[in-house]
Amino acid sequence: MSWALVWLIAFVVAFSSFVLISLAIAVRGVAEIRELFAALEEERRRKPF
Amino acid sequence: MSTAGIVSPFSLLDGAIALASLLATLWVGLRVKRYIGTIEDYLVASRGMGLYVGAASLLSTEVGIITYMYQAQFGFVAGFSAFVVGLITLAVCLLVGRTGFVITRLREMQILTVPEYFERRYSRGVRVLAGVLMAVGGSLNLGIFPIIEARFLAIVTGIPSQYLGWTMAALLLVALAYTALGGMVSLIVTNYVQYVFLAAGTVIVTLVCLRQTGWSGMVRAVEGHMGGHGFNPVEDLGVGFIVWQVLLWIALMTVWQSVAMRTFSTKDAAVGKRMFTLTGFLFLGRALIPMVWGIAALAFFWGRAAPLAAPTGATPAAQIEQLDARLNETFRRDLDAGRLDRALPQVDLLERLAREEKPRTPEAARFEDAARDRRGEIGLLAMPWMLAAILPTGLLGLVVAGMLAASISTYAGYFLGWSSIIAQDIVAPLLRRDLSGQGRLLLTRVTVVALTVFIMIWSLVYHLPGPAYFYLQVTANLFMAPTLIAVVGGLYWRRASATGAALSFVLGAATSLAYLVPQLKVDVASAGNLSWALAVAGFVIGSLLVPRAGNGAHAGAGSEEARA
Repeated sequence: MSWALVWLIAFVVAFSSFVLISLAIAVRGVAEIRELFAALEEERRRKPF
Repeated sequence: MSTAGIVSPFSLLDGAIALASLLATLWVGLRVKRYIGTIEDYLVASRGMGLYVGAASLLSTEVGIITYMYQAQFGFVAGFSAFVVGLITLAVCLLVGRTGFVITRLREMQILTVPEYFERRYSRGVRVLAGVLMAVGGSLNLGIFPIIEARFLAIVTGIPSQYLGWTMAALLLVALAYTALGGMVSLIVTNYVQYVFLAAGTVIVTLVCLRQTGWSGMVRAVEGHMGGHGFNPVEDLGVGFIVWQVLLWIALMTVWQSVAMRTFSTKDAAVGKRMFTLTGFLFLGRALIPMVWGIAALAFFWGRAAPLAAPTGATPAAQIEQLDARLNETFRRDLDAGRLDRALPQVDLLERLAREEKPRTPEAARFEDAARDRRGEIGLLAMPWMLAAILPTGLLGLVVAGMLAASISTYAGYFLGWSSIIAQDIVAPLLRRDLSGQGRLLLTRVTVVALTVFIMIWSLVYHLPGPAYFYLQVTANLFMAPTLIAVVGGLYWRRASATGAALSFVLGAATSLAYLVPQLKVDVASAGNLSWALAVAGFVIGSLLVPRAGNGAHAGAGSEEARA
């Protein structure tokens, strides 16, 4: 296998995984941020500053 | 030959898109301030970070305009060989993610900074020494970001140079505002928003590059310019460079403060490990995608260049001098106006003539080095000039919004990372009295402000001596080798002692500094590898000669000072 082919495959993997993982982050991230806020809110109620 | 410069089509619409993205980030960042009550909230978001926002936060912090620029520069000068660095990053992330190497143990200790571990395992002195080196190396590393990024923004947006300083100051102040007030919670939330902009900008630029030059055009450009060197990393970069990169990336992924803070902020060690596995592929893209932009820029400007007539000097040596004199006159102006299609062939020819002449006339080596430096300068600015030339209005605004998001998230992440070390690991231990939680919070906020002021001043007064990629790696290497060795040794070797750790930091840092002294003529890979070798030697010899106080102790137990 030539170097040129190796680098083409590497780039295809890099770009497609970047796109797919970015989409997953965009979709799942909102729920995780809500969860984080809820946890911080809960902690604030338990231990007021 | 084309001699017309490039003028960015950046319009009011583009400016409005970029400004709106900035305001949205600032608004989101400031809104979460109310959640900050303790130093744990501030530095590690009460360790409540999930997998996907963790990955977004990690990548946003480690990707700025400067990252895109130096990676594109690397692709421009080394061709596809540069890709090996991306593969190394992926391999290291997968290794860390699968095995939990270092990160699991540190996460379980519930520490806030890496040097904090050194006090627990070695002594307060080692903590402060590590903190000082990290603060100096990290701040110097961060200090050139605005210098490089200002050039990108000037080219892509066409902002006149007299307003650049103010523009960079405004960006730093936006990052400062929400970082100082909201700490890690602000960072996590803004990093998510910024990641969406950053990813969109990255995808747009990549598709435009591929459409503009095509993959085969890039392959031809690399073949034409570099031959086999542009494809074979061992031939081009050498084994020494590759070994150093492997070591450096292991350190970056485990003990680099801004990365480690993400590990410390995860819900638990398992989420931390999964975050690294997921982020490995994003880090592969972080390297390869902008490298492809750099190669596309090479193909783009090479494609626009007309063949260059050879200089008319009677001998090769006279031709070289003639060409160098011509470049001295025109190079800077061409670079500043985007006439890279005119500068590049001249630099290429000078480098080729000087290389051929070197065996007969040793002084030709000087011209070859000068040509290589100029090629590096072109490489740094080729990508932004290409974007200014090919992106249409509207799309340009989206890309600038993505780049600004990338940049501000990096400033914010690094402000918090390095200031937490200055406050927690240098100032607080030296005060010799316990600070309250609120006191530590205030101290860290004040340090964030002070660091921002330093970065603003440093970026105004400092001039970069060579390629940005090497400067960044050397300043990082000032503490990376000894930090990783002292952490790994502390975790996995019972005999590791404070003397060994301190010696490791002194020797590792001294070797890295050797690169910055031009008279010593130490190349970057040798300085890097030597730094690792001496840091290991210092650690082992110091630990064997002066064993730790007490015995049978294990990592994470009390410090040597506490035992003594």
